[in-house]
Amino acid sequence: MQKKLEVMGMVCPFPLVEAKQAIEEINTGDELVVEFDCTQGTESIPRWAAEAGHEVTNFEQVGEAAWTITIKKN
Amino acid sequence: MSFGLLTGLLCGALLGFVMQRGRFCLTGGFRDMYIAKDNHMFYALLIAIAVQSVGVYTLISLGVFEFTTGTISLLAVIAGSFIFGIGIIFAGGCATGTWYRAGEGLVGSWMALAGYMLVAAMMRTGPLAPIDTELKSYEVGNNSMAATFGVSPWVLIAILVAIVAFIVYRELKKPKVKIPSLKPKKTGVAHILFEKRWNPFVTATLIGLIATLAWPLSVATGRMGGLGITTPSANILQFLVTGDISFVNWGVFLVLGVFLGSMFAAKMSGEFRFRMPDVKTGLNSFSGGLMMGFGASLAGGCSIGNGLVMTAMMTWSGWISLVFMILGTWTASYFVFVRPRKKAQAARSETVTA
Repeated sequence: MQKKLEVMGMVCPFPLVEAKQAIEEINTGDELVVEFDCTQGTESIPRWAAEAGHEVTNFEQVGEAAWTITIKKN
Repeated sequence: MSFGLLTGLLCGALLGFVMQRGRFCLTGGFRDMYIAKDNHMFYALLIAIAVQSVGVYTLISLGVFEFTTGTISLLAVIAGSFIFGIGIIFAGGCATGTWYRAGEGLVGSWMALAGYMLVAAMMRTGPLAPIDTELKSYEVGNNSMAATFGVSPWVLIAILVAIVAFIVYRELKKPKVKIPSLKPKKTGVAHILFEKRWNPFVTATLIGLIATLAWPLSVATGRMGGLGITTPSANILQFLVTGDISFVNWGVFLVLGVFLGSMFAAKMSGEFRFRMPDVKTGLNSFSGGLMMGFGASLAGGCSIGNGLVMTAMMTWSGWISLVFMILGTWTASYFVFVRPRKKAQAARSETVTA
């Protein structure tokens, strides 16, 4: 199962705050797709995911200052 | 106006470029010490301070220029830094951070800058100047830590370097968590400059070197100081409304350089886009900017002027300011991030039990 979190337009650290909350609401093994445009999130979101022990299955830039990251809950 | 002023533009552009690519955000760093129990950006700042401290005091020892620490007005530094710390949480970036985010196309950061420049100018040549003068007249004392302890500044620098070396060693020894990175689309130098994730400690070292370089370049134009953001930001507005060219100095070119350097970095990396905030974020940015302008003017520096530069110069104002700035960000973070989250969690558990 995939859950989408659309946080385009949110400034940091809100995309990360929202992602942390959203991942609590999904089941282990499910994926959270975060779409964000806050530049600093390209550092803070994957760093958090890795340190929290989740798996990043996709991370790419989808346009000018726009990124998507898929985090599989572990 | 002289050619020397253009070195300010170059120095600022380097700083803006490195900060944008390295995601060097002190506001985020101070905030995360509290809300995420993550100190890595604070450690990065300490590295930048140590590099600059060694660099600048070497130049001073070689007789390149002279430096006097001046005096500290304790009340103004404490109150100003605390208010500045609150302001940067609302604005979503410190003074330099706001300049470089403005270069990424964030319109919210332009709003923060407007408020920041306005109050900073009001505190200098406007109606707030008497308040500024009054508050700075209390508890004035010697600002040199070396003089207080009766030692050479090199003793303090050696202690700082030892602490930083220990922290870096401990951090690098930690088991590495591989941080996922973007799929590379560029190669070679372009990949390193415009795509790759920069290690925060490498970024910090570069910032320490740029901060060192700033000193001789600035002094050569007759401006006694290193990196500084608040006074130059105010000077831009003061020049624009008075036409008095004497407000245009090396620092003015420095902050314009930060904006341009960051914009160049963002453009080249595909990270520039005009982004309009919602009403709430916009209001927060502007009011944060107002607080930043008031706080930084009163404290005699922002997170760069006091937090990065005056700390490296081993002054009381630098280190005391850094502490109260951080306390300010924590206080604001509690109200902006921690409390709303607790409330939301409480509300959720209520609906579950009900």
